[in-house]
Amino acid sequence: MRTSFHRGGGEVVLSDSARKSTFWEVITSEKYFRWTLLVPLILVLLLFLIYPFFYCLYYSFTDYHITEPAEFVGLANYWHILRDVTVFWSALGKTALVLVISVVVELILGLSIAMLLNREFKGQNIVRGLCLLPLMIMPLAMSMVWNFILQYDFGAVNQILVALGGEKISWFAPQHAIYVLAFINIWQWFPFSVFVLLAGLKSLPKDAFEAAKVDGASGWTIFRKLTLPMLSPLITIIILLRTMWLIRFFDPLYGTTRGGANTEVLDWMMYRTTFVFFDIGHGSTLAMISLFLTVILCAILFRELMRALGVLK
Amino acid sequence: MGKILKQIPFWLAIVILLFVVLMPILWIYLTAFKSGADIYSLEASKLIIFKPTLYNFQYIFTLVPFLRELANTAIIAVASTILVMLVSLPAAYSFARWNTGGGHLLFVTISTRMFPAVVAAIPYFFLYKALHLSDTHIGLILLYLFFNMSFATFLLYGFFREIAVELEQAAMVDGYSRFDVFRKIIIPLIMPGVAITAAFCLIFAWNEFLYALLFTRLAARTLSLGISAMWGAIEIQWGPMCATVGLGILPTLVAAWFMQRYIIRGLTFGAVKG
Repeated sequence: MRTSFHRGGGEVVLSDSARKSTFWEVITSEKYFRWTLLVPLILVLLLFLIYPFFYCLYYSFTDYHITEPAEFVGLANYWHILRDVTVFWSALGKTALVLVISVVVELILGLSIAMLLNREFKGQNIVRGLCLLPLMIMPLAMSMVWNFILQYDFGAVNQILVALGGEKISWFAPQHAIYVLAFINIWQWFPFSVFVLLAGLKSLPKDAFEAAKVDGASGWTIFRKLTLPMLSPLITIIILLRTMWLIRFFDPLYGTTRGGANTEVLDWMMYRTTFVFFDIGHGSTLAMISLFLTVILCAILFRELMRALGVLK
Repeated sequence: MGKILKQIPFWLAIVILLFVVLMPILWIYLTAFKSGADIYSLEASKLIIFKPTLYNFQYIFTLVPFLRELANTAIIAVASTILVMLVSLPAAYSFARWNTGGGHLLFVTISTRMFPAVVAAIPYFFLYKALHLSDTHIGLILLYLFFNMSFATFLLYGFFREIAVELEQAAMVDGYSRFDVFRKIIIPLIMPGVAITAAFCLIFAWNEFLYALLFTRLAARTLSLGISAMWGAIEIQWGPMCATVGLGILPTLVAAWFMQRYIIRGLTFGAVKG
């Protein structure tokens, strides 16, 4: 990273009148302005990204526990965690499960509902406004509300099931609690996909579609050959952003199972290790491993996106 | 007649969609007006037929620091959003106009959101203790700056990409300096994008929970922490919880109403060439 603009004040840049440029002229010059604009961002990154990163990297090689001084243990933490099939690999598997289910279902729902809402109809603004609501509600509040609605004894869903002659279902049983959590998460986030894709549909060029209609192309062909390719950058964006956000899957657990009922995902495991057991050494190691995996995954997606946007050849 | 029949599947789909979206939200408000006995009742009829009571609201206004939580949340959300804009607006412009850092720096910025929140929290937990910043507004505002910066930069990056370079060149020919172009040409053009981005930042900050849980106790505690505190040692206080949630999400629900039409026009990340 170039940081030469920091020394900008001391540099002499000759202008037409051959006088010394002021500091202001240098930092807003053609050459340096792009970096001047980035100074606040880089400061925040140094403070909140680089510093915690090296802090955790350092402590991931120690057995730091809040009550005892840190001692260097080399790769022992990594070895210990990566061998831990019952907790770590199972948490990783559950994270991946929630991730895949949520992204796939959100995309399918998002695309169908966006197509549904794309036409003109009476009350379209009201319907769209109402569809946006789940995205606006605190995820934590919503997880507690779902916990209430899905309560075994007096929850609304089970009471209605009984009234209809069915049997009560234990929604947060270990066999399927993770799927219920995925549902809670999908309910909250599907409007994001809907509105990104709806915005995309609205900005598609109209003439290409009319030309295809004149040529007698069927609705399905138009969708597959025109709509989908034109929306593909947005679909990549949705996958990228949702993947990043889903790896941090915490709030839906806090209001419901709290990591119990076979739902401990990676983020919860990190939280429990670090802030419940105060095992900073293992917590830092987990964080490093989790970061490593997500950076690889998201770097691939980001490359695809930059290609789709035409920034990267 | 045939035309109406053709419309039936469409409206059926809309009705199902609205039912799934609205029922849980409706449930929050119904429960907020229920007494404890009606909440725990095992009669299905009590689900919708009950004697409304204001007890839960009375509870949160007198026994819980609800108003202080509300004020804290508003202060922290607004202040952090302003800070995010000061950082993200120039940065996103630089990324969009010059591809500064060749995409790498943009990726690092975006990836802060997948950076485990717990990782950032470990050092800050101790640093904040040492600096006496834990349980303060400014402490949480700084963390939310970091939390929202990535999405804001990415969203603004898309809006900036939609502004034609020719416009800037014309202004430079007219004798505008780089800084003048940014301030007088670009900033006014990007305002609709800033409005959408700021709305998202406000809502994400309003709704955030993990940092609030780790970094606030009483003085700076936010609504989400207040809601989580309804999960007591013995049971969850469903009635007061629903009352808090019902009032706490009102501002964001109102925001949704104003946002929807701007979002439809704007949330394309500059990725669709119209």
